[in-house]
Amino acid sequence: MLRITLKSVRGHFLRFLLTAFAVMVGTGFVAGTFVLSDSIRATLDGLFNQASKGVDVVVRGTETGAAGQASSGRAALPLDLEKQLAAVPGVKRVVPDLQGTALIAGKDGTAVRSGGAPGLGFYWDPQGQSFTLLDGRGPTKAGEVAVEKRTLELSGLAVGDTTQAVIGDQRQSVTIVGEVKFGAGTTFGATAVLVDAQSARTLFAPDGRVGDFQLEAADGTSEATLRAAVAKALPADAEAITVTDFNKENQETLGTALGFITTFLLVFAFIALFVGGFIIYNTFAMIVAQRTRELALLRAVGASRPQVRRVVLGEAFVVGLVGSAVGIGFGVLVAAGAKAALRSFVGIDLSSDLPVDALTVAVSLVIGTVVTMIGAYLPARRAARIAPVAAMRDDMSIPAKGLRLRGGLGLSGMAVGAGLVVAGVTRDDIAWQLVGPGALLVKGGAIASAPVLARPVIRVVAAPFAATLGVVGKLARENALRVPRRTATTASALMIGLALISALGVVAQSTKASVADLVAQEIRSDFVLSAGGGVAVPTSVGPAVAALPGVQSVADAVGFGVRTSDGDDLGASAGTAKGLGDNFDITMRSGSLDAIDRGEIIVNGDTAAEQGWTTGSKVSLAVGALAQKEYTVGGVFAPMQILATDIVVGEDLLEAAVPAAQRFNQGVFVKAAPGADLTALRAALVGEVKEFLVVSVEDGEEFQSTAAAGVNIILGILYALLLFSVVIAVLGIINTLALSVFERTREIGLLRAVGLRRRQLSGMITIEAVTTALFGALLGTALGVGLGVALQRGLRNQGLELLAIPWSTILVVLAASAFVGVLAAVLPTVRAVRLDILKAIATE
Amino acid sequence: MTDGHVTAGPAGAVAQAVDLTKVYGSGEAAVHALDGVSVEFERGRMTAIMGPSGSGKSTLMHCMAALDTPTSGTVVIDGVTVNGLKDKALTTLRRDRLGFVFQSFNLVPTLTARENITLPLDIAGTKLDQAWFDTIIDTVNLRDRLTHRPNQLSGGQQQRVACARALVSRPAIVFADEPTGNLDSRSSAEILGFLRRSVDEFGQSIVMVTHDPVSAAYADRVLFLSDGRIVDEITAPTADSVLARMRGFEPAGRQG
Ligand SMILES: Nc1ncnc2c1ncn2[C@@H]1O[C@H](COP(=O)(O)OP(=O)(O)O)[C@@H](O)[C@H]1O
Ligand SMILES: [Mg+2]
Repeated sequence: MLRITLKSVRGHFLRFLLTAFAVMVGTGFVAGTFVLSDSIRATLDGLFNQASKGVDVVVRGTETGAAGQASSGRAALPLDLEKQLAAVPGVKRVVPDLQGTALIAGKDGTAVRSGGAPGLGFYWDPQGQSFTLLDGRGPTKAGEVAVEKRTLELSGLAVGDTTQAVIGDQRQSVTIVGEVKFGAGTTFGATAVLVDAQSARTLFAPDGRVGDFQLEAADGTSEATLRAAVAKALPADAEAITVTDFNKENQETLGTALGFITTFLLVFAFIALFVGGFIIYNTFAMIVAQRTRELALLRAVGASRPQVRRVVLGEAFVVGLVGSAVGIGFGVLVAAGAKAALRSFVGIDLSSDLPVDALTVAVSLVIGTVVTMIGAYLPARRAARIAPVAAMRDDMSIPAKGLRLRGGLGLSGMAVGAGLVVAGVTRDDIAWQLVGPGALLVKGGAIASAPVLARPVIRVVAAPFAATLGVVGKLARENALRVPRRTATTASALMIGLALISALGVVAQSTKASVADLVAQEIRSDFVLSAGGGVAVPTSVGPAVAALPGVQSVADAVGFGVRTSDGDDLGASAGTAKGLGDNFDITMRSGSLDAIDRGEIIVNGDTAAEQGWTTGSKVSLAVGALAQKEYTVGGVFAPMQILATDIVVGEDLLEAAVPAAQRFNQGVFVKAAPGADLTALRAALVGEVKEFLVVSVEDGEEFQSTAAAGVNIILGILYALLLFSVVIAVLGIINTLALSVFERTREIGLLRAVGLRRRQLSGMITIEAVTTALFGALLGTALGVGLGVALQRGLRNQGLELLAIPWSTILVVLAASAFVGVLAAVLPTVRAVRLDILKAIATE
Repeated sequence: MTDGHVTAGPAGAVAQAVDLTKVYGSGEAAVHALDGVSVEFERGRMTAIMGPSGSGKSTLMHCMAALDTPTSGTVVIDGVTVNGLKDKALTTLRRDRLGFVFQSFNLVPTLTARENITLPLDIAGTKLDQAWFDTIIDTVNLRDRLTHRPNQLSGGQQQRVACARALVSRPAIVFADEPTGNLDSRSSAEILGFLRRSVDEFGQSIVMVTHDPVSAAYADRVLFLSDGRIVDEITAPTADSVLARMRGFEPAGRQG
């Protein structure tokens, strides 16, 4: 039996190659996901180990509140603590963790950036082990910097050059005195600039406070011993932790943050495998149908049913194994692509190479092989049911079972699913527990009823061809309809990918429209100053801009964490009543915005309802790095999307709660004075922020499109990944077509004999492919748009207020699908056209 | 519309082969399926080709019908020299000037009987001559079967559809390779009667391969093929005269 299996694989080599290819793509995503997450882990390991070389214990503030973008959620420690710590027995060295943001201007005068990664500032510690000097010397006084290797490369500058820099909040002119290398080889994409130790204190700890201290133990003192000794000497708001635990903690945090990448890829791996499963199923179903006689003969000469089933499953095993083995190689490519994408889009640089470990290999092989065998199971069972007498019968095909039941089940599944989706999205808050299963049910129903839908839809799609091309078009249509089940399975593979693409398209387009609308509705600013992802607008920009003539008021976009006495973590923003009131359309439900200027807080309506707060409530909160304290709720504002925060506090409270160096200012909103000359004001703003290198000035409309542009990048990545499932679907069309051309060898010979031109023949096969592809595409886009619309309805209260359907994208998708059909037809066409008429006619 | 060059055939010959050879394989294993066949088929006549299995009957039909290229020799169909024509010209020639009936699998399963019959015209984009179509349909007696698909027709009906298709484009000549080989004697008689009538009433030229002396007797002339050569011929054959002639050279066939 094994011999028969292997012979069969060899005999239908090309067919199996295409099937194996489908397996390969799916498995490739699985393998790629594993490889990438291993690489991330290895990089993080290297990074933390290097960063903590020569460190045994870390002293940091105790946890007070939530970690936010602008705050670690821990109390900051006074720099003076350094002396106290140095005095603890067993401590060899104390290094305050002085770091902040730093950017230098490159040769072209613009800031040196690496994608969206942050620009970090450190200080040069001659005894430290994190950085090694490559060239020149370390900075020793203000105005001198050393620059990390890759950062220097990006800048186009050299040691000895002078350039502009923004370090901490200070703009200054600096001289590059040295080039350094980060021990781990990579800074994970961030740029790095080093100043001297003294300057670091003024630049990175202007308020005399730092996040933590790193302690090196004297020879012979262990981490744990040192930690215990240090812990005794600490004030109440500080704690000591061994570097081993510290690294573990950080790694977990970062690992979780990057975990989305793995989840994300796994989702696509699943989609690719699912689509691949269809193709595998179709291929085996057709091969079994074509080999009915051969298999019946096996039965006739005494093979048992399980043996016949094993022949087919054995083939699936071989194909699955080969496909997934190659898929592991493809997975490394996927991981390499993801690595490159991370580097150029996100600025994250993975230094580790792409490790393929035993687990990756094992999981990929098992998943690829099992999926293939599942896909082949039904055909194998059908093969086993072939009666020995079929060997003697003339007609080769296995009678197809009635489609009515299947169609009925499918259509009712779709109806129930649609009902669930509608029920899920028509409430105030989208009910994912209804929408998720509902959407799956609709899809499953569509797949099940596709053979029934094939007839009417293909009739319509093929109508123009039949009308213009006469018999060629008609033949193509009838061929596409000949085995509706097969056409439907082939089209379903395309349908799945395109449904996701169009649903995403609708959601994305609606997001863009809604964001633009929100910006227009909720923001009253005339200009917005921002620095792009990863880099904050320096804190000093706001006040500087506020002082310009023609500026009425400004508001900073600073987010930080707040923890309630119950332990709930909330998000907070800050500003002056005037700045916020002028720049944002804030509706107060009760109380007044002015309360924030009095040290009170105002609360988002939704948050107030959840927490049971009303205007006048006294609430206990830990704001930023401050300890729990009682605040008065001075007002409740109507929830809004742009200022989507739970709590707004005043400037004074912000000053106390979040040290300037730790503040992450995403942007400065600027409202012009009435009657101010906006053109002149813009020029003044540009002049003012020029020295801050990365800060750009946008007016309302530009800000709208920037806000929407983020959606485009994400959309681009998603589309690219979904395209893989489309590629698999194309393989499926090729496979089906090639097999049916093979099945119809005699008929093609006959048509050629009675005068069908080669061109007409290729036209016929191409139209068959195009109608099949369009069938899948129409079904997919219809489902996708439907789902997209449903999602928009469901998320209308979560920022997706407007529905926008990207008709042009959908038209492109449909046109591309037709083209995909043309492409898929190339190989089968070449085969058909080359057929020798006589041999074709003589074929059994 | 034919791209071939026109040479004048002998008066009365609709198709002509001159010194046709067809060799399969080479060296020791070479098979001379046709070994210097020269033959003319007259316009408006029905010719039967007989001979033992493997004698080259099908090969001759295929070469004459522009389905296969001979190793050497010349084929002229309706004044067009077939040799050296490109695929496009050959296809046009087959479509417009030739008709075929094979032993089996003559019909496209997805098309109805009517669509199968008009297939050559539809492929060419030529308008159907309704009167001619009606005449053919009535002759083959298929009017009530026109909307049926091949799998709804009996073997005899299928072959009648195939014959109707071969005639519908008024080809210069129809080649039929054992058209009744798979049929019972009654269906055979129907088909042969129909072919005969199309010669007598419409002046169609037909060449037909058969094994059966009774079938051969429907023809005006019978050619005997053996080992790739024409070894004999009879005009105005009867079943008996054909049978007698077959008996005559069967041993010779064995010796060769
Ligand atoms: N494609 C081919 N390849 C090799 N030999 C062939 C091929 N077709 C026919 N032959 C050989 O040519 C000879 C004539 O075949 P054919 O014309 O089919 O005979 P007939 O139709 O009279 O039975 C036979 O010996 C046959 O084996
Ligand atoms: Mg023959």
